[in-house]
Amino acid sequence: MSLPIADGLLVVVKDDCETCHLVVPVLAELAGREDGVAVVSQDRADFPEGFDAIHDRQLDISWHLGTETTPTVYRIDDGEAVDEQAGWYRAGWERVTGMTGLGAGLPEQRPGCGSDTMLPDNYQRLLRRHSPYPMSSRRVDLGTAEDPVEAAYARGWTDGLPVVPPTEERVARMLEGTDLPPGHVLCTLPPDLAECTVEKVAINAVMAGCRPEYLPVVLAAVEAAAGRGFNIHGVSATTYFSGPVLIVNGPVRRRIGMNSGVNVLGQGNRANLTIGRALNLVVRNVGGARPGGVDQATFGSPSKLSFCFPEDEEGSPWESLAVQRGFGPEESTVTLFAAHGPIEVVDQKSRTPESLARTLALQLRMVAHPKLAGMSEAVVVVSPEHARLFREAGWTKPRLGEEIHSLLTLPVSEMVAGAGGTAEGMPPWLADQRQELTKFSPEGLWFVHAGGGAGGFSAIISGWVGGRAGSEMTTVAIDH
Amino acid sequence: MTTLLDPTSERTTGERPISARPADLADGTVGLLDISKPRGDVFISRLDELLTEMGVAVRHYRKPTFSKPAPLDLRCQIAAECGAVIEALAD
Amino acid sequence: MHDIVGLEDLGVPGVFVASDRFAQAADAQGEALGMHPIRVLTDHPIQQRTDEEMRALAEAAFPEILAALTAGQPS
Repeated sequence: MSLPIADGLLVVVKDDCETCHLVVPVLAELAGREDGVAVVSQDRADFPEGFDAIHDRQLDISWHLGTETTPTVYRIDDGEAVDEQAGWYRAGWERVTGMTGLGAGLPEQRPGCGSDTMLPDNYQRLLRRHSPYPMSSRRVDLGTAEDPVEAAYARGWTDGLPVVPPTEERVARMLEGTDLPPGHVLCTLPPDLAECTVEKVAINAVMAGCRPEYLPVVLAAVEAAAGRGFNIHGVSATTYFSGPVLIVNGPVRRRIGMNSGVNVLGQGNRANLTIGRALNLVVRNVGGARPGGVDQATFGSPSKLSFCFPEDEEGSPWESLAVQRGFGPEESTVTLFAAHGPIEVVDQKSRTPESLARTLALQLRMVAHPKLAGMSEAVVVVSPEHARLFREAGWTKPRLGEEIHSLLTLPVSEMVAGAGGTAEGMPPWLADQRQELTKFSPEGLWFVHAGGGAGGFSAIISGWVGGRAGSEMTTVAIDH
Repeated sequence: MTTLLDPTSERTTGERPISARPADLADGTVGLLDISKPRGDVFISRLDELLTEMGVAVRHYRKPTFSKPAPLDLRCQIAAECGAVIEALAD
Repeated sequence: MHDIVGLEDLGVPGVFVASDRFAQAADAQGEALGMHPIRVLTDHPIQQRTDEEMRALAEAAFPEILAALTAGQPS
């Protein structure tokens, strides 16, 4: 749409605003100029009297200008607003109009009122009306007696918790979180091999409770999940426990207010909780992996609902997970790990890194089974208290990794089936080939730093089968 | 009216589906829900005879009043006790 | 209608028997409830019928009722 004037001054006012009434004498002064002034009234055609105001009944002009406050004076140049002043502020009005001595007898300044475009109902209507991106998803008209939250359950769209009903208005707002158009096909999602558009991700992000600024993280997570290496089909279909665990790195963590501190793996932070949930809803609704259908997990785990957290990079003694995985420290990324847990690690007594590493190794041996090796992978979330010990001793991540791999290089005789009185274990023929086995592959053990400042604990997030036979940890840059 | 955007890959209909049907009625009890309108009882007792002749187990339920939906307790009881249900007879 | 929809939501296959005068109302309620359960219609009117006539109506509707409750039938 175009503005009522291409060049000159324009003032947006409304009758239901004291400050607008206050500036009427100023409008009269502006009207005396050679090029005059266009007065746009939001609520009444006859306000202010005698100005022949343009009635912005649909609020399209105000929306186009992005008016948040009345009155606002704009300088329009070649059809675009090039300067503006909201409320009454003499110096500002003088700057915009290029005139001096405006509003003699008025106070220096007076705050304005909220523009009618900002009323919730109007805002939603206008957002929908002016959305540059038409949405193509099927419209589901609910019955007049249907409750929208119940309707989402009844149609099988939820994970068991209530969802925010994905109305067109909410989805339009969500799409403001990305520069990608809604029809952009992000990926093809197994198991149904359905095309997954940005719009479908946005709908599910609305349902999960995300804010628009979280959407880029969700989009990157969906891309990561759809990657061949991550193998979301296998992760969904296995009887094993795992679901997608999301680890977020880079500036995006602070920008969207994620929590990497107290209760980092628990409840309480909207971004942490809803981003992981949005990914799982996409996997369910677009990919088609539903429990009892493709998903045949014996137990499943909360990672199938939501398991997402950021690394505490600022307080970490080490480079971040993203940097280890080849990204720059200023890049925002999300890393997907097919996993579950956490398994707790308690060590409140160690005073040396060697002692603490032994504790970690003892507990890490439990992953999957103490007699299984080279199968599952693990991420250790090291708490600030534990990290301090490594920092003070100058232990890098590789140094800690070497120590643990060395401590978890175990005699084959202890690991084979039958040893220790249990049939579970590694194949007995291994004993003919080698003396020792290492619990984790070199690429199968990772450390990240997060958690509250108090507590001599760390947390092991144990994974599904790693590598090509299962799921490869996948990191994707967040750039939309 | 509320309109929602379909979050799925749109391979199924937007309306919520009726539940899956059993292959036959022999294995489960069939509930006969009488909505308490006049003459409905005769209709229902004939259905009872026909089902019983087929070897299908039958249980009877009656709404307190035809003018209101059955109480939740009654619906849950039917769901717990029956594999299928016939509601009759509205006019 | 509400009852059958409620029971379908609880996973119980249901069928709703009504006189044909009820068809339009049932359609409207189906729209309102977001589900169209299977219904079987009988001839209207009902309330002044004899017992014999009521039993005949039940017999006439029975095959359709059975079909509605079992698999492989069009819904």
